[in-house]
Amino acid sequence: MKNRTRMLLATVLVLAMAAGLLLWPPGREAADQADSSPQARAVAASHGRHLPPTKGSGMFQYATPTGRRFEASQVYDPSPPPSEPAPNGVREYTLVIEEDVPHEVAPGVLVPAWTFNRTVPGPVLRVTEGETLRVTLINKGKLPHTIHFHGIHPASMDGVFELVPPGGEFTYEFVARPYGVMPYHCHSMPTSQHIHNGLYGMVIVDPKEGRPPMRELAMVMSAFDLDRDGEAEFYAWNGRAFQYADNPVELAAGEPVRMYVMNIFEEAMVPHLHGNLYQLYPSGTTLTPTEFTDVKTLSIAERAILEFTYDYPGHYMFQCHVTEHMEQGLMGWFRVVEDETVARRTQK
Amino acid sequence: MAEPKTSSRALVVLSALMPVLLLGGVLYLLFARGTGLRLEAPAPIEKLDFERVVLEPGEIRAHVLNTGPEPLTIVQVQVGWISRASWEFEIKPDPTLPRLGRAVVRIPYPWTPGEPYEIVLITANNLIFTHEIEMAQETPTPGPEMLGAFALLGVYVGVIPVFLGILWLPFLRSLSRQWYFFLLSLTAGLLVFLGVDALHDALENAERVPDPYQGVALILIGLSLSLLGLYAVSGWLKQRRQSRSSGTAEVTTPLLLAYTVAFGIGVHNLGEGLAIGGAYALGEFATTFLLVVGFMVHNLTEGVAVVAPVVRTEFRWRHLIWLGLLAGAPTIAGTLMGAFTYTAVWAVLFLAIGAGAVFQVVIEITRHQMRQAGAASLASGASLAGFALGLAVMWVTGLFVTV
Repeated sequence: MKNRTRMLLATVLVLAMAAGLLLWPPGREAADQADSSPQARAVAASHGRHLPPTKGSGMFQYATPTGRRFEASQVYDPSPPPSEPAPNGVREYTLVIEEDVPHEVAPGVLVPAWTFNRTVPGPVLRVTEGETLRVTLINKGKLPHTIHFHGIHPASMDGVFELVPPGGEFTYEFVARPYGVMPYHCHSMPTSQHIHNGLYGMVIVDPKEGRPPMRELAMVMSAFDLDRDGEAEFYAWNGRAFQYADNPVELAAGEPVRMYVMNIFEEAMVPHLHGNLYQLYPSGTTLTPTEFTDVKTLSIAERAILEFTYDYPGHYMFQCHVTEHMEQGLMGWFRVVEDETVARRTQK
Repeated sequence: MAEPKTSSRALVVLSALMPVLLLGGVLYLLFARGTGLRLEAPAPIEKLDFERVVLEPGEIRAHVLNTGPEPLTIVQVQVGWISRASWEFEIKPDPTLPRLGRAVVRIPYPWTPGEPYEIVLITANNLIFTHEIEMAQETPTPGPEMLGAFALLGVYVGVIPVFLGILWLPFLRSLSRQWYFFLLSLTAGLLVFLGVDALHDALENAERVPDPYQGVALILIGLSLSLLGLYAVSGWLKQRRQSRSSGTAEVTTPLLLAYTVAFGIGVHNLGEGLAIGGAYALGEFATTFLLVVGFMVHNLTEGVAVVAPVVRTEFRWRHLIWLGLLAGAPTIAGTLMGAFTYTAVWAVLFLAIGAGAVFQVVIEITRHQMRQAGAASLASGASLAGFALGLAVMWVTGLFVTV
């Protein structure tokens, strides 16, 4: 009987304990904490911290930048060769193909690139319409290669039929026409691999009458698929992700700029300027612009000339408006400065 | 036969060491001379495991372990949402991880709750390692509040249901004697189900264990060690009791059996708590209200299992509290450990130990019933029905747990 009472007592005790625990508030408070207010606050705080782009790689506005950056010495020079008449009407270039050249796509990420003259993209070639373009290809690789030029030329100069064997040499020679922005790339099979690995570049063919003098930039848009799964890991202006974010391109306010742009990756790209619009010359094959815009979709191997002038000093992003491409490296900065000499020069 | 001479002891030692010494020699030759085979991999072999991913407002921290054969260096970090984005990062202590070395990758990324993300780590050899966050939510940090919350989760899932189950004791006592074996068999059924369930969970968690730690082998070790270990301990306890009461007392007292059951369930609950806390920490599920309720219903039966052996025995009521705590309280330790220090290795080990403990208890119960009523009673209608009902109850209440 006594034991019964004890059992009853214990039961009541346990029930009371259980009820107390169920009603204990900390659990509920913890659940309340899961709402988004601290989260929202943290995001708002990080948005408010727009650091100057001098410190930045990709997404600098969210954090103190750490880790490695591209040094100025590694940056692909965005200035094309000057427009000038070729000696004796013949513009000569030598392009040396090498395979498995270590190419730093993003800081610390080296890919075994196949290169023209050890850079990705290859050097910008420049010639005036009607002049002879003579390009000697030296193949120092282990595979046969070619150079295929876009433009009007004889079939024998098309860089498709005659493969240049390892150790071999070949000279392409034809009259450059029409004027415009033309790609060149290797056309060995599988062409997809030869292009992806870095064998591409830009030819600028100037019109005979020339274009008005301007500050000029040449930008090739491409991408790198490290694991060959069909989805690129890094996209880049001129072969290195975020190189012009780490090292902004300096422009002067009031200075007219001409940007030659080419897309050589197998996805559409959309060059976009911040704080400005550009006059668009599709393929660079006209002397008058066809559109005044700030986004133009360049399909595969498509190119254009963009002309613009910045009115105000400051930092302006130039990016691919495909946000994935931007976030994986197709993003850079113009640092527009007040420069009185430039202002005077352009007023003349 | 002559006794071996003492001087031959050196020979014995030598004969024991000989194969090892010879292996050392062969290995030396292999390294010095080479094999003539190309043993270098044509491409670098790298493996990186995500051990723990912590989400804090504006920040993701990935705890990674190099489980490959060579050191590796992390050079770039991307975060995937719909598409991947290169992101700032900081790696401590060093971006280069030696074999089985650890590092923490800090990514200041403004994630938002409820969204899926992918963490992408790119190594210097261009290999890519990813971890998916199915649904982002803030990771509990071991502050007093979250500590309390997780302890409370353990109380809800482990302690309360066991005690509530124990409250059935007065009702169970009112049943007649033939129901006793029904109850024992019911308990056996519950426990067999729990054991298999724990093994299943252990196998599932084993997939998350880094390869060098051999998850499935850990299950074997945990299972056999607890099975044999408990066997030895209970044997030792019985022996002591026997010698003390000069062999007249019953071999296994019902109370001792109840404690064995409580211990087995306790270890099992520790593993269960680890799994719950760990899954929460990895952001793999939200501890929904429904899930907690499910566990409570499921574990209610554990209380019945604990007291079933003592239904027909007089004992001091204080034992009930100890029994309940022994069975339920380890859940608290489990959820806390799982939430704040989770590694899959521990979850697997404890789940396997729990399974072994539970199976051992089933053997113990069966032997107890055989001694009390003979082997034939195991096949009696009451026993079979009890066993079947035990399985059925667990299965049905398990429906609440699997969301």
